[in-house]
Amino acid sequence: MIFTSKDLRIFINALCLLIAIFFVNEIYGAEGGPCKEYGECDKFQYSLNDMESLQRGAATYINYCYGCHSLKYSRWGRVAKDLQIPEDIFFENLVFDKSIKTGDLMTGAMSEDSVNWFGVEPPDLSLVSRYKGDDWIYSYLRAYYEDSSKQYGVNNLVYPGTAMPNVLLSLQGNQRLICKNIPIIALNGGEKRDESGNSLLKEKCGFLEVEEGTGMLSKEEFDTLIYDLTNFLVYVGEPSKATRERIGWYVIFYFLIFTALASLLYREYHKDYNK
Amino acid sequence: MQEKDKTRRKVLIGLTSAVGLSGLPFAATPFIAAWNPSAKAKAAGAPVKLDVSKMQYGQQIQVAWRKQPVFIVRHTEESLNSLELALPKLADPNSDEITEPYKGLYPTRSKSSEYSVMSGVCTHLGCSPKYFPEVEPKPWDASWNGGFFCPCHGSMFDIVGRVFKGVPAPTNLVVPPHMFEGSILTIGEDKEL
Amino acid sequence: MSEIAGRLFSWVNDRLPIVNTFERHLSKHPVPSKVNFWYLFGALAAVTLIIQIVSGIWLIMPYSNTEEEAFSSIEYIMRDVDYGWVIRYIHTTGASLFFAVVYLHMFRGLLYGSYQKPKELVWIFGCTIYLAMMAEGFLGYVLPYGQMSYWGAQVIISLFGAIPYIGESLELWVRGDYYISGITVSRFFALHVVALPLVLIALVFLHLVALHEVGAGNPEGVDIEEFLDDDGIPLDSVPFFPYKVLNAMVAIGVFGVVFSIIMFFFPEGGGYFIEMANFQEANPLVTPDHIAPVWYYAPFYTMLRAIPDPLGGLIVMASAVAIFFVVPWLDRSKVASIRYKGIYSKIALTLFGVSFLTLGYLGTVGVTEIRKTMSIICTIIYFAYFLLMPIYTKYETTKEVPKRL
Repeated sequence: MIFTSKDLRIFINALCLLIAIFFVNEIYGAEGGPCKEYGECDKFQYSLNDMESLQRGAATYINYCYGCHSLKYSRWGRVAKDLQIPEDIFFENLVFDKSIKTGDLMTGAMSEDSVNWFGVEPPDLSLVSRYKGDDWIYSYLRAYYEDSSKQYGVNNLVYPGTAMPNVLLSLQGNQRLICKNIPIIALNGGEKRDESGNSLLKEKCGFLEVEEGTGMLSKEEFDTLIYDLTNFLVYVGEPSKATRERIGWYVIFYFLIFTALASLLYREYHKDYNK
Repeated sequence: MQEKDKTRRKVLIGLTSAVGLSGLPFAATPFIAAWNPSAKAKAAGAPVKLDVSKMQYGQQIQVAWRKQPVFIVRHTEESLNSLELALPKLADPNSDEITEPYKGLYPTRSKSSEYSVMSGVCTHLGCSPKYFPEVEPKPWDASWNGGFFCPCHGSMFDIVGRVFKGVPAPTNLVVPPHMFEGSILTIGEDKEL
Repeated sequence: MSEIAGRLFSWVNDRLPIVNTFERHLSKHPVPSKVNFWYLFGALAAVTLIIQIVSGIWLIMPYSNTEEEAFSSIEYIMRDVDYGWVIRYIHTTGASLFFAVVYLHMFRGLLYGSYQKPKELVWIFGCTIYLAMMAEGFLGYVLPYGQMSYWGAQVIISLFGAIPYIGESLELWVRGDYYISGITVSRFFALHVVALPLVLIALVFLHLVALHEVGAGNPEGVDIEEFLDDDGIPLDSVPFFPYKVLNAMVAIGVFGVVFSIIMFFFPEGGGYFIEMANFQEANPLVTPDHIAPVWYYAPFYTMLRAIPDPLGGLIVMASAVAIFFVVPWLDRSKVASIRYKGIYSKIALTLFGVSFLTLGYLGTVGVTEIRKTMSIICTIIYFAYFLLMPIYTKYETTKEVPKRL
């Protein structure tokens, strides 16, 4: 049989060793994650076939972000079409500049003064989901907290010193950085306890908590809003992503069939010289 | 080799080749589709809007749609009435030889009784004809009633773009899809079409 | 009808050696009857080359090689051109898989001694192909003019600066500007789409011509020419067509599955095939936090980084590639295949493989003290494999090679 080889042993040995080395390395060489002081980024799972989520995300983006952040590689009509929003409704409700045509690029609504306002030019976000990652966006937008030492009174755990004010403050409410007493975890993985069996606590800081009643949305509603917004940014980062993943299954299926037939044929001919 | 094996081989060869070849059109699709006008080209070729109410009677203007000249003429009543004079000279007065979107609607050949809208590309070899509205003898036609004359090969059209007999151009100037919303003319789009 | 076709064919065939070539190189070309899957990567490399050429030609059409538009023209391809994303992902996936396939193909060579007499030239042409591919891949990676394109090119071009005396002016000459600008991009474009593909095609042609002259090898290291039948055809051989072609078809099918899984579901390859930072337009004023080469250069990049002195690093990196060329003369073994070589060869090759993969891993992550030590150890093992080869291959006990396959 052609696909088995005793010589593979060497290769497998090599791989095992490599994996061992990899783990040693990971233990000694842990690097800071992309979400900085936030710790691990929250995991984000996009759902590009959830049109309602994308539509809500697009609306949030255009209402809250588009004023400063362009999507200069994206075209209005394409967004309407991909998000299955009828063009007249889309242009009626989401496009404020009436001179815009369906094929125009979303080049932004920002005036020249922007640099003066924020010290930096607000970046174009067409590709933000691709160079920052969706996890990052999802975590970043939920990691603002009150910090009176900053220009806009807010700071961000994921992106400390961010130049962007918390545009969604009125929706989220005041988020503060608080400290909590948490159980100490022993080396064996259990909680450390004192002689009478109570958990030993230590104070740990860096937790985010929203002051109740200060925001228009509940925590869950706000998380959904950010989910939709991030989902929309994932779409904008690669508009053909959903199509790509759909076509992919067919292509893989095709090659599987082809491989099956080709190997049957190959085995048939193999009989000629390997009886 | 046994007969049974031979058949098996033939069937397998047939199946494998069929599956292999059936993949080719799919593999070729992206490469063929990539030559279609891109979203950028389509955006640049989007319908053109303009207000034609400021045009003077008898005036001709030229706008670019998809980077091609489109002629708009605002006719006087007089000139529209004199269209019949040119009739014996015309090769295809009713545009029977081409598919025309607004055939028989108005003498202007457009969706308006007053304006003509036509492609400014000669149907001969693609030069752009020039507008000569004057009713006077011209070097190319002693009984000129006004119309379009192509300097490249001498093709002649009347003021609504219908081709003369005996000139190189084979058919009338093409009328692009268009619509009027009040005095706003949109070239390249007709919601009724 | 078929009679006319037949006459037309023979008319052409009288003037162009169609049947002769087909018989000589395909239907009557003897290849060893028993080989394993390691022998399929050459065919896959050829297929990938064709994929890269076709998709590449289609990418040239909408791509713009100016500083202002290079980056946005990539997004134009990804969004505005119908199915442009398919073509681009074919090319990016193909690039990574080309290297993967070629690395496996080269490892096969080391495993079964595919460089030994009389196959030295086949091996040397192959090494040259690999060298040309590295240049081709590097030039291509600069074209999108993203942050990684820019800073990757910055690092590599700075290597020229390490050359004594002429370094700095050479650096400037390569860039044609004081930074990697549109001028650099457009000359890299010309080299990437015309010059190097021509070189690659010519080299692949020579690689195949030389191979067909000396004949393909097998995992046993048996010379099939020794036992011939009455017609002078090796007993342990089968004609290339249809037997090996069918074998290659199976390989192409499996390759297609792998290719489409990556292309349609993981085109960025977790940041190893298309790096995240390359979705940001080049900015000569801001270096990304973490510069890593694409995975296929990573082992060599690690060596470069492990040596503190830039010139030393450059020399080590260049030697790491150059040393492949002399392998036919480093191996003094009586046998070709690892199956019959002694224990030293087996240990050496295993250590080499492990160190190569480790170097690759280290190149994609940031530097720490322990990683630096590991890179130096692995670099030493890498070179020791080659430099000690004349010794361990000569003085080890080899097994008897069978006469027949």
